[in-house]
Amino acid sequence: MTKRLYDLAYGRAGDKGDIANVSVIARSPEAYQELKAKLSAERVKVHFGDLVTGEVMRYEMDNIEALNFVMYGALDGGGTRSLRIDGLGKSLAGALLYMTWDED
Amino acid sequence: MTYRIGSAEGFYGDDVLKALPMIMGGHVDVVCFEALAELTLAILQKDRLADPKRGYTFDIRTIAQQILPEAFKHKIPLITNGGGLNPLGAAEMVREVAAKMGLTGLKIAAVTGDDLHPRLSELQAMGESLAHLETGAALDLNEKMIVNANVYLGAAPIVEALRNGADMIITGRVADPCLYLAPMIAHYGWSWDDWDKLASGIVAGHLMECTGQVVGGNSLALIDSINPRDLPFLGYPIAHVEADGSFILSKTPDTAGCVTSATVKEQLLYEVHDPAHYITPDVVADFTTLRLEDLGSDQVRISGVTGRPRPKKLKLNLGRMEGYMRELIFTIGWPDAWKKVEQLKLMIDATWAKLPIERIEYHYLGLNSLYGNIAPLPEYPLEIVVRVMFTAQNADILKQAVRLMMNNGLSGPAGMSISGTTIGADPRIILGLWPTLIARERVVPEISYFEV
Repeated sequence: MTKRLYDLAYGRAGDKGDIANVSVIARSPEAYQELKAKLSAERVKVHFGDLVTGEVMRYEMDNIEALNFVMYGALDGGGTRSLRIDGLGKSLAGALLYMTWDED
Repeated sequence: MTYRIGSAEGFYGDDVLKALPMIMGGHVDVVCFEALAELTLAILQKDRLADPKRGYTFDIRTIAQQILPEAFKHKIPLITNGGGLNPLGAAEMVREVAAKMGLTGLKIAAVTGDDLHPRLSELQAMGESLAHLETGAALDLNEKMIVNANVYLGAAPIVEALRNGADMIITGRVADPCLYLAPMIAHYGWSWDDWDKLASGIVAGHLMECTGQVVGGNSLALIDSINPRDLPFLGYPIAHVEADGSFILSKTPDTAGCVTSATVKEQLLYEVHDPAHYITPDVVADFTTLRLEDLGSDQVRISGVTGRPRPKKLKLNLGRMEGYMRELIFTIGWPDAWKKVEQLKLMIDATWAKLPIERIEYHYLGLNSLYGNIAPLPEYPLEIVVRVMFTAQNADILKQAVRLMMNNGLSGPAGMSISGTTIGADPRIILGLWPTLIARERVVPEISYFEV
């Protein structure tokens, strides 16, 4: 079976205007080190493709072994304007956790 | 003895009655109800336009009728920002309800001063550009109709009202976590520049302000352990706060749900940008220094939160009327499903060619409506559900667009059908949010008292 980011982490998405954030919370200390090393903001931006039109910022939370990704232009104008069925981006954590994760 | 804060509302429409087992069981010293999402005030404006006595959340009536009598008896203050656009109207309504129930001696406080709608021109004349916080675009007050303009207030007026003996405090746009911080300040007498303690209180408020989301709701971490039949009955969160600001996050005892390090981590980063700079009107909190200990039995201890001085500017959110949107859903099956989808799109283009439709977006439900193009579309699907979203400045244009499409009923691509519920639906207003910043000194909160 394809290994995915979801095997290493769980998370939750939230919205503020047209900005979405997705937390990526490591399932183990080892997983956190791997995420910190390999899950860059650039990689997340590429993964989201057309869903995110602006930049992606990454913040580290060593104290709870989690990363936080903040994505600008991620909600088609924001919850009130968005024509998407999930205008608040509640499902976006799933979108990120779907990323394939190669073992090496 | 710790000070105990319960949270019984996380959005307009939440199950506020979850405050009752907290109060009746003697588990809390105060209960907060957070009712305002970014959008809620713009929605309440519609109510206020219809009736100037309204503009507050209806949950306040439920709180007044069913929770207030018990809270007043147990001397548990209730705090809510569900006053929305009309805290004074809400307080008057609560006073009437309380008087009928004979709650003699009850004192209600209404906090106002967040509504800057009538002052926007004046503020611009004073040098406040009101430029868009994210894009930097200048605000033209005449470009679109402004529905509401509310600045995020901090904890101070609530603290004052509590010190003046208010039993119920009703505010408008107070920042969510500050609603919870206020009773801690009033109880412990924290100074307004004791940044670490204030920040710790903010973290407690932030963790509780979405009620169910920290006790097992919306939790990917608990997907295999939570009993879905428990979800409607989750016990809402309670924070046990120490004088130094550290706290144990827990929930109403003997109720469903759970508080674990996983549920706390999930909620800690919810709607957060830079976790080292979580900006509120009262303090900038740093989440990256905190320690989290799972003590078991639904108790998670949080300590070590640090804070920095409060910002000089406050966030102001404007709601602007930006037009209307409408949805139609078509179903298309095999054979040649994609070819027929393309035919549908071209037919729509031709049908609406003369209408001033501003945007048309197509999504395929079950294929790309949530996750866009992160995975390829199937080449030969058996069925495709096409969701067409379209916008215009005027609702009548959208109604006309739907009528014209219905005229094509027997002329469309083979085997196509349309979802009946979407045919009969009404256009929806597009309220655009315009976040901006203004100098703190422009904002003067006021407190009015109502007594029974």
